[in-house]
Amino acid sequence: MTQPVLDVRDLRVVFDTDDGTVRAVDGLSFALGRGETLGIVGESGSGKSVTSLAVMGLIPRPAGRIASGSIHYGGEDLLAASPRRLREIRGRRIAMIFQDPMTALNPFLTVGEQLTEMTRLHLKHSARQARDHAVAMLEQVGIPGAGRRVDDYPHQFSGGMRQRVMIAMALSCDPEILIADEPTTALDVTIQAQILELLKQLRRDRGMSIILITHDLGVVANACQRVLVMYGGRIVEEAAAGALFEQPRHPYTEGLLRSIPRWDGHSTELLRAIEGQPPNMAHPPSGCAFHPRCPYQLPRCSSESPSLTPRDASGDGGSKACFVDLATIAAVAAPAASTAAGSAPH
Amino acid sequence: MVEVAGRAVGSKGEASVAGNTPITTSGRTAPLLSVRDLKVHFPGRGGWWTRRSVIRAVDGVSFDIRAGETLGLVGESGCGKSTTARAIVGLVRPTSGEVWLNGARIDGLSDAAMRPHRATVQMIFQDPFASLNPRLTVGATITEPMTILGLHSPKDRQFEALRLMRLVGLDPRFLNRYPHEFSGGQRQRVGIARALAVQPKLIVCDEPISALDVSIQAQVINLLMDLQQKLGLAYLFIAHDLAVVRHIARRVGVMYLGRIVEMADSSELFAHPRHPYSEALLSAAPLPDPARERVRQRIVLEGEVPSPDRVYAGCPFADRCRRVESDCRATPPRLEGGNHQVACFHADS
Repeated sequence: MTQPVLDVRDLRVVFDTDDGTVRAVDGLSFALGRGETLGIVGESGSGKSVTSLAVMGLIPRPAGRIASGSIHYGGEDLLAASPRRLREIRGRRIAMIFQDPMTALNPFLTVGEQLTEMTRLHLKHSARQARDHAVAMLEQVGIPGAGRRVDDYPHQFSGGMRQRVMIAMALSCDPEILIADEPTTALDVTIQAQILELLKQLRRDRGMSIILITHDLGVVANACQRVLVMYGGRIVEEAAAGALFEQPRHPYTEGLLRSIPRWDGHSTELLRAIEGQPPNMAHPPSGCAFHPRCPYQLPRCSSESPSLTPRDASGDGGSKACFVDLATIAAVAAPAASTAAGSAPH
Repeated sequence: MVEVAGRAVGSKGEASVAGNTPITTSGRTAPLLSVRDLKVHFPGRGGWWTRRSVIRAVDGVSFDIRAGETLGLVGESGCGKSTTARAIVGLVRPTSGEVWLNGARIDGLSDAAMRPHRATVQMIFQDPFASLNPRLTVGATITEPMTILGLHSPKDRQFEALRLMRLVGLDPRFLNRYPHEFSGGQRQRVGIARALAVQPKLIVCDEPISALDVSIQAQVINLLMDLQQKLGLAYLFIAHDLAVVRHIARRVGVMYLGRIVEMADSSELFAHPRHPYSEALLSAAPLPDPARERVRQRIVLEGEVPSPDRVYAGCPFADRCRRVESDCRATPPRLEGGNHQVACFHADS
């Protein structure tokens, strides 16, 4: 990877709850390359959304706090930056799209007012300039009749159009990094396809770097070059999208991929579900957080927490946090598994 | 009418045989559920100075479900799939059309008249947090339908609740726990046990897994399929996730603006969609496969689903259709064909 645009090192975010201190993000390190779309996959409580809030400096206080770590953006540690400096960066250099546009947009302001607020602040636009820019942004994200619709209120837009408004808002200052937290989860598939296409276009045309947070493996396969899989506040596997889907090397990743049906397959057999429940992060399991649900667990998994190690010998094929070598297990189990795979030609 | 397996829960082997019989003889057995030209219209905006518009949520839907069979309904939000489900179980009153369950007509029945039919059809809801009464224990939740329908003696109801908990994979020791003590997946199991309490033949499932974590979804899908095998249940399975519907349903209907535009066997529909809307819907659904995703062609639909208060002379999809011709706007196409039905004048053959 060339010089990363964002470099997160050993990030730890904790929340104080009635149930005790929750380590929502527990020693997370990753780098985002220029012009790269990085997927972060995980279930509720895995820490994926908290990670994005930490980057944006939006961890709710006083319940939550960043216990340690650094988030470097262009040689500057965002965690050490002053609130004033953070305001300069947030929205201008690093922008975010949230899952639910209805709660992220202000219902009392027209979308034009919300779009111009940003550019007047960050780009010092005049009222006229800001309005023209707002219309241009709405056009760019594919809102028909942008010149008229700029004066509409959020409730006058459909779900898909509202999400576009939010993307237009995030893009209006031409940020270097876009963080999209479940940007298509509330949308129908045909609208989702349009939004994903738009994100790809932005990456191509503007060289934007994107962090795409999602639980949908189809969305990841469609839009991301590289993927982080999170479980219990940690990265359990990180690899290029193709390698991760073809040869998962962490039991949780493998379990996820085996448990989802495909609409192009012929499988009528039972899905191989991951047994058990996601961990309660107020009382996380000892050792590896996944070990109570893991079909490959070793005795040491309940006492030691595996650190990230290379997925393969070359060392550039990503990393995994698991004591078990799934590559050798796959080789041993292959003859038995081939009969089952025969019925599902993918 | 075949006496379906649900009654003979104890004998597993027998049950699955009985449950499967109607599928193999599908042409001859009377369907368990018949829906004919179902319409559900809601009053829309206006009505003071202007003429009140009509929201045609469901606008002429017909299908059959046979005992032991799963029919899937897919479509985007607002297509009418959930309203169809709610109209069948009597949660909304149909505007017109007929719903026949087990040979009896059940549309438009009063709550009291509908009650005996609730032993035949039950429903599972999307949100396992909202669909359970927080003040009832799991045991009380599961026994309540039995009490209402007067099934079993009070003591037997407790045994029955314990049996159902085991059947859906809940630890019977949790009988006296409350819903808030359970995770989403476990609550959905409670909802399934409650539905099974009256030994129904048909369960209407409205997005039963979409509120659950990915790793939990497969557990619930497997449970539903396992129960179908054991009890010979029929499902009307409604979901927006195409892969899940493809996996669980034998037949699938695609809905658009209150109508079924295509209906076929699941494997056939997903391999060879013929309606231009089904084609676009499938092409938009991503596959968990980066290599395939790189090379797939997408059919991009222009615009969004139009408002269901519009009245169409012709095909409601015509405005967004890439195969539209002049005849499409004149008369509405009907759902036609043998096993693979399409409502389109220019369907892919």
